[in-house]
Amino acid sequence: MNPRRIRDNIWAVGTIDWDRRLFDDLIPLPEGTSYNSYLLKGSEKTALIDGVDPAVEQVLLDNLRSLGVEKLDYIISNHAEQDHSGAIPAVLEAWPESMVVTNPRCAGMLTDHLHLPEERFILKDDGETLSLGDWTLQFFLAPFVHWPETQFTWLTEEKILFTGDFLGSHQATSDLFVRDEAGTLFGAKRYYAEIMMPYRKKFPKYLDRIDGLAPEIIATTHGPIYDRPASILEAYREWSSDEVKNEAVVAYVSMHDTTAKMAGHLINALIDRGVRVKVHNLTGVDVGELAIDLVDAATVVWASPIVGVGPHPNAAYAAFLANVLKPKVKYTAVIGSYGWGGKMVEQLLGLLKNLKVEVLDPVMVKGFPREEDFASLDGLADTIAGKHRAEGLL
Amino acid sequence: MHKWICMACDYIYDPEAGDPDSGIPPGTPFEDIPADWICPNCGVGKDLFEPYG
Repeated sequence: MNPRRIRDNIWAVGTIDWDRRLFDDLIPLPEGTSYNSYLLKGSEKTALIDGVDPAVEQVLLDNLRSLGVEKLDYIISNHAEQDHSGAIPAVLEAWPESMVVTNPRCAGMLTDHLHLPEERFILKDDGETLSLGDWTLQFFLAPFVHWPETQFTWLTEEKILFTGDFLGSHQATSDLFVRDEAGTLFGAKRYYAEIMMPYRKKFPKYLDRIDGLAPEIIATTHGPIYDRPASILEAYREWSSDEVKNEAVVAYVSMHDTTAKMAGHLINALIDRGVRVKVHNLTGVDVGELAIDLVDAATVVWASPIVGVGPHPNAAYAAFLANVLKPKVKYTAVIGSYGWGGKMVEQLLGLLKNLKVEVLDPVMVKGFPREEDFASLDGLADTIAGKHRAEGLL
Repeated sequence: MHKWICMACDYIYDPEAGDPDSGIPPGTPFEDIPADWICPNCGVGKDLFEPYG
């Protein structure tokens, strides 16, 4: 990707990764991603904000050279993760006078991961500033978006906020600024669900701080730049709030179609009662899509057969992941079929200890469900609809 | 005495209760907990706690 002008003397110098389809060996990237890096040419000093993935660091170096950067004074690191920091050693080597500017915790993590020398750091704490001549940068600590060291950088005079991964989206697009707002918001929701959601309780405070700054532009490290940031800020308010929606996620896996029949009956029963249902077959599921549906749901139902004497491993995997992501779901239940016995209900619920949920009565059936078992599923649907109604959701 | 919250997992250290399972008796202020103490819920170090409330 060639450099792209954001405003006078402000350039996007990162790279678009059209091909990447998996992040962290975990997260599907159906739309690819980008590693956004920004060059600020102040009247006195030149600064780079974040880098790129080390696999594409040459693009960043070439972009800086093509913009005539002979002297680079500062590399601002808002986040120590390697897809942004991994190119910093190459930049430090190419511009030997440059210094890494970041907070003490981020400096520690950059040292841990990249073995950067201590003498190449300038440390800035919360609220401290750095002059580029006609421009002033101010740094705000924002821990756990999504690592402990994360910070925002505020370009005061231009009202541009660089938020690192916060508010970002995994999207490879030729749009420098968001032009497909619905598409970007959906990508940002996927990103929020997969990366940010475990730390959502801190976000209202950060969003208040951002509102106080009233940025004209928010530039993240992944995805297109927000030149009309109101909608992404509003979306993050909603996602990170404690408000849930009239939605039940039914996550199921089945070996001989028995549990699938139970899940199917429950899904229809929930629809009949006015509950919106999001269904995921856990075999081959895109975990990002599952995570997206966990963002707003009031209820999650886990449907699995007993394999041996425990849950199907696909159900255990999804439950473990949900426990890591800590969605704000309020109710959960386990249903399934078994041949001879087992402790699946206890084991699946044991994987969900981080969730602040009320556990509804399970529906476990030996063999293929009979009429009274389907009635029990209707009863579970009644309970779920009743809970949603009591919450004022339905 | 002040409570402290784990920034990683939201565990709250209450000095009134201490963390007896980790050998921290009730009544121990957060500042007096040994440096090698870790969050009993998620395992991160003391440096990732911040004052709560």
